[in-house]
Amino acid sequence: MRPLPGTSTGVPPFSLAGGMMLLLITLLVLVTMPQAMAQAETEQNGIQVPNPSAELWRSVRQREGALPGRTQVQGVDSAMLINPYGERWRNFRMKELIPYGGYALGGMLLLLLLFYLVRGKIRVNAGLGDRKLFRYTLYERTIHWFTACTFLFLALTGLILLFGRSLLLPWMGPELFSLLASASKEGHNLFGPLFGVALLLVFFRFVRRNIYQKGDLTWLLKGGGIIGKGHVPSHFFNMGEKSMFWILVLVGSVIVGSGLILVFPLFGQGRISMELAHVSHAVTTLLMIVVILGHIYIGSVGMEGALDGMTTGYCDLNWAREHHAEWAERCEADGDVLDADEVSQRRGETVSGAAVSTRESSA
Amino acid sequence: MARMKFYCDAERCIECNACVTACKNENEVPWGVNRRRVVTIKDGEPGERSLSVACMHCSDAPCIAVCPVDCIYDTIDGVVLHDKDICIGCGYCFYACPFGAPQFPQEGAFGSRGKMDKCTFCAGGPEEDHSVEERRKYGSNRLAEGKLPLCAEMCSTKALLAGDANVIADIYRERVINRGASVLNRGVSYQNAAFRASRGMEGKSSVKE
Amino acid sequence: MIGELIDGPLWYFSLVVFIVGVLLRLFSILRAGLKPDLSPARGGATAGALRNLISRSIPRRDVATRGRMVLVAGYLFHVGLFALLFFAQPHVDFYAERITGFGWPALPYWAFIVSAEIAFIGLLMLWLHRLLHPVTRLLSSVDDHVGTGLVFLVMLTGCLALAQSFEALRLLHLFLAELLLIYFPFSSLMHAFTFTFSRSYSGAVMGRKGVNA
Repeated sequence: MRPLPGTSTGVPPFSLAGGMMLLLITLLVLVTMPQAMAQAETEQNGIQVPNPSAELWRSVRQREGALPGRTQVQGVDSAMLINPYGERWRNFRMKELIPYGGYALGGMLLLLLLFYLVRGKIRVNAGLGDRKLFRYTLYERTIHWFTACTFLFLALTGLILLFGRSLLLPWMGPELFSLLASASKEGHNLFGPLFGVALLLVFFRFVRRNIYQKGDLTWLLKGGGIIGKGHVPSHFFNMGEKSMFWILVLVGSVIVGSGLILVFPLFGQGRISMELAHVSHAVTTLLMIVVILGHIYIGSVGMEGALDGMTTGYCDLNWAREHHAEWAERCEADGDVLDADEVSQRRGETVSGAAVSTRESSA
Repeated sequence: MARMKFYCDAERCIECNACVTACKNENEVPWGVNRRRVVTIKDGEPGERSLSVACMHCSDAPCIAVCPVDCIYDTIDGVVLHDKDICIGCGYCFYACPFGAPQFPQEGAFGSRGKMDKCTFCAGGPEEDHSVEERRKYGSNRLAEGKLPLCAEMCSTKALLAGDANVIADIYRERVINRGASVLNRGVSYQNAAFRASRGMEGKSSVKE
Repeated sequence: MIGELIDGPLWYFSLVVFIVGVLLRLFSILRAGLKPDLSPARGGATAGALRNLISRSIPRRDVATRGRMVLVAGYLFHVGLFALLFFAQPHVDFYAERITGFGWPALPYWAFIVSAEIAFIGLLMLWLHRLLHPVTRLLSSVDDHVGTGLVFLVMLTGCLALAQSFEALRLLHLFLAELLLIYFPFSSLMHAFTFTFSRSYSGAVMGRKGVNA
């Protein structure tokens, strides 16, 4: 390595005084040199040496906004030399999305487990009785389970693609995992639009009952009856269910929209829009999965009597009184309460009950 | 070991697209796949420069990081290669790559892209060297023959350089020094130095001094 | 090893089972024939049969309103399945290579996928309806669920193998299709062929009686 000019490394040790003198001179030179150089430059009226490369690379790196060049090669974005967002997207996916997404999902599962251990299964205080209320028509149940099927399949395949490399690849081996990932990708792409269809069907069917009403705020303020023993009265859907519906509709439409951008790379959308679509798809989807985990929990192991309405179409009267008091009261006032025999007759379970109710099949 | 690099000298590239043609011919890539392309910045304006770009075989390659099936890897020579038997054609490498190097044979509806294809630095793929499979999937393997990528080898102005990063850097540094010297010597700006104005010459000149 | 078995012998075996089984069952139906009708004919039996064959594809008005979902889903499924079974490029290539020796124009990729989506919507809706409607739930036998499930699995594995680059996925799809072919003649899936008989037989009976049904 060459010593830098002006440093004191090359000073011979004549004497202390001489050394001091030399040091002073060097210091003087050091202080005045830049000035002298600047003077010389202006005097010469010097050659400006702007490096053209600097300008070139500035536009190549897209520092001053996207300025694509020209190329003989046809294709989306082919005239863009450097896409500065690629690295940002990579960092988001690898350093934020995968770890924090994993924490969010794991945290939600842990939370549900903890909640189950602390609160246990929410029982119907009055016990499950004989009397039922008709809750969901056949069509409503069908589209609900249709949405559920497509959502679960899409969530599973999507999670395989997102976390598979870190979780599955090490013990599956590259060949087998690649097979699974390819199957997941193709399945995800094909089933994606089905979720869009399901979302539309669910939206149009349930939107009227999901508009927020007067009692909803008190439900929220009382924490939906999660804390404490008392149940909060609500209409056909309570505040939580309504919020879940709107999350499904709003977040779901973002998911479907961004998914369509990703799955149809035909309309000249460049890398930047694909990256944005991917980011919004991933974030909203993880949010949706977390919400749906809660939905599945409360609908199955979390609450007694909650699943019946979506499987048989009839819910328990006592359950309805405790969880949807206002709806149950109205039904009772209208005389819509059915006893178990009537229900099984309507469902064709008794020998004599050959007639199927018109309400059941009119869906 | 050497780290293989491409370097394109923008002061020399004349946008002849010979590298693109050479690459297509040598590797027999399908239609629609362009492992290499030449991009012209400020086309037709002062300061026009062209650059030939392909996979730059990054040291910390984004494509390797984001691939969901981990099919992209770098060799001991610093060449970034990928395994087409593992690739699922998701397109993530294309999003992450700053240079737009990963190419897909199709851009169909419902995400049908086909397997990713990109510049291999003429180093084939994970298959056995010079096997039929390797030829079919990845094109030629010149590196195994001790040759450099054809695009750089047949660049007429030697703008595109390929090889060991240290050697490339030395060549380029020498060029930069020479250019700087010519600027000082002839007293023109760097911008004009490249154009060789007819300074001190008699006769007709299109350039007014 | 297993791949060769699926691709070779099992394929031919399932094809033989399918063809022989279907022919036997159709032959037995034909042999059973119709009970002799001694009353004087009031109309043409053939005309009635042909009319019924077509007219039964159009739902009656009350059926169309009461079971609208099943009707729509049923059409979606059958039309979609027909399109993707006979006009998807990979299938056309397969038939041309293995059975017919000649190909025919196939759907473009996007139309193939759209028909698959339509078929999936229909099949899922119909299966869920079968499970959720109390009456169809009781009426459904194991055979119905196995048949539906096999068709669903064949379609699903086909969709998973769409990349057409992983041999194992193709073989899985082919294997399930072979199971379906073997199962087909002995199940209610036979309605793909027998619907013509049931419609035209009842059409012929009604036509002879001079009833427009």
